[in-house]
Amino acid sequence: MRDLLQEIWESLRRNKMRTCLTGLAVAWGIFMLIVLLGAGNGLLNAFLNDGDSFASNTMMVGGGVTSKPYDGLKQGRRIRITDKDIDILRQPRFADKVDLVSTSLSRSGYTMTYGRRYFNNVSLNGTLPGDVEMNRVQMLAGRFINDRDIAEKRKVIIITHLHAKNFLSGDTDYDKLLGQRVKVGNLSFTIVGVRHAEENRDDRSLYVPYTAVKAIFGLGDEVDDITFSFHGLTTEAESDAFENQVRTAFATAHRAAPDDRRAIWVWNRFSQNLQMEKAKGILITALWIIGLFTLVSGVVGVSNIMLITVKERTHEFGIRKALGARPGSILKLIVTESVLITAFFGYIGMLLGMVACRILDATVGQSKVEMFGQSIKMLDNPTVGIGTALGATIVLIIAGTLAGIFPASQAARVKPIEALRAE
Amino acid sequence: MLIELKGVHKTYDNGQPLHVLKGIDLSIEKGEFVSIMGASGSGKSTLLNILGILDNYDEGEYHLAGKLIKNLTEREGATYRNQMIGFVFQSFNLIGFKTAVENVELPLFYQGVNRHRRREAAMAYLEKMGLTDWASHYPNEMSGGQKQRVAIARALITHPEIILADEPTGALDSKTSVEVMELLTRLNREDGVTIIVVTHESGVANCADKIVHIKDGLIEKIEDNRQHHSSVFGTTTIMK
Repeated sequence: MRDLLQEIWESLRRNKMRTCLTGLAVAWGIFMLIVLLGAGNGLLNAFLNDGDSFASNTMMVGGGVTSKPYDGLKQGRRIRITDKDIDILRQPRFADKVDLVSTSLSRSGYTMTYGRRYFNNVSLNGTLPGDVEMNRVQMLAGRFINDRDIAEKRKVIIITHLHAKNFLSGDTDYDKLLGQRVKVGNLSFTIVGVRHAEENRDDRSLYVPYTAVKAIFGLGDEVDDITFSFHGLTTEAESDAFENQVRTAFATAHRAAPDDRRAIWVWNRFSQNLQMEKAKGILITALWIIGLFTLVSGVVGVSNIMLITVKERTHEFGIRKALGARPGSILKLIVTESVLITAFFGYIGMLLGMVACRILDATVGQSKVEMFGQSIKMLDNPTVGIGTALGATIVLIIAGTLAGIFPASQAARVKPIEALRAE
Repeated sequence: MLIELKGVHKTYDNGQPLHVLKGIDLSIEKGEFVSIMGASGSGKSTLLNILGILDNYDEGEYHLAGKLIKNLTEREGATYRNQMIGFVFQSFNLIGFKTAVENVELPLFYQGVNRHRRREAAMAYLEKMGLTDWASHYPNEMSGGQKQRVAIARALITHPEIILADEPTGALDSKTSVEVMELLTRLNREDGVTIIVVTHESGVANCADKIVHIKDGLIEKIEDNRQHHSSVFGTTTIMK
């Protein structure tokens, strides 16, 4: 191996300028590939960042208005989902798939007061313990709502870190707030937890026990929606079939047509997530293809240069063969040279591409645009992962081999009799 | 018999068939010093190519050290050349970007001998050629005679059955030519190396014990030259 590398080094040393220019094309190709993929990732992260704000194996069920007559009832009837409907999901036919079930009941337009500080127009979101997992609530201090809160209808509250920061005059030691009391409307709640809120989004809900909201406001058993998590589904078809099963069950319970998508709406986050992943996959594949095509010009360049090198070294290969070099050893020499050139310059390109991604992250990645009343990042973390780097390495080695294989077979075909031809 | 050629024919077919060798029968014993002489176009280069397993032949048989050399694959050809034949070329054919010692090592590299032992053997042969001080010089830093001695060291390093020299003095002045031929003669006398020299210079041919004259693709005569009186210019000079 050392001998092989030494041979290649000698050959490259004699053609520095030529080798570098060729390498530049390869470096450029990989640079473009990395930057494209990095920017693509950034775009996807920025626009699809909803993806990680809830668990993807969940569905949300809510009531709508019937769009067709059914079972003797006319259309246009409003369907009211109640907390009794949770029992539907506990039926034997769903029990083996459904894990957590939660519901939400929100009331908004209150003022929250803490000492002299206050927030207007806050909304209380009555919920169940399962929400912490299904909506990926990130607790920064304290705890989420637990079963005892529900059973005892405790007046406990989880505020967001944005509220907490304000209450603490900018301090972030949220533990200080635990056990403190805040007033929401005329009612006093005990703070038991502080959660992280997405600043970019309108995410300011205060979580309280579902049973407390129901009791305080003297509401019936109607709820806004029911969310549940499940397991054991892998494909979109399975997921859609399960969604229809759920809809049918709810529709039957409310005397609506089983296929009436407006009477019972289901937000199938699992299918949505699968579709999103698919779209993401298509975009990334497209970027790879564009990047690879850019790389092709580099590969052709390397191949071309190797051909010229082989032509120039015909006499030398003749001598080597006369001295006993097998075709395979010459083939190996040229292919290895090609792979080394490609990999070396490819890695330079890859490194520069990653630096460019970092620069992109530090500049464009930090700027935000106003869109739909929200400030959205243009690019979010526009970098490539270790997987892409490994992928690019494999691409480089394959590219180098492809670039070298034709010139190498030319070299291997040189007749030993060439050695006798005087230069 | 080290070398045995029986009825070897070779025809080149470049548009028009050219019958170059028309039935060569030749035997060479181990330890002989033979020269092959002939005018250009006589077929002596073709004969050399066949002897050196650089080219195929159409008819007949060629046995080298008991092995039939016929219809070899490239791989087999390479192995036989590497193990049984040492080449000395007119234009030296050293690899320009390798030092003298690296050039000498090369045949052993293709035998898979490790670096250390390769270097050791190469240095030993360079010493034998009186070139120890030139080991790390590149060919373009050396004189023609030095280059040819490096090439001879390279040919000897694998202990081949035969040394095939193709116009070994063709690119050298007469004084250096004499030195190189003396070197080859000594190798033959002292070490018993079988040497075949292809040349058109009578002075060079005169160094050999046996001169094979080729004319029009046939062996014209085989001259016993143990007295070394074949050259019209005397026995110790090479006329350029």
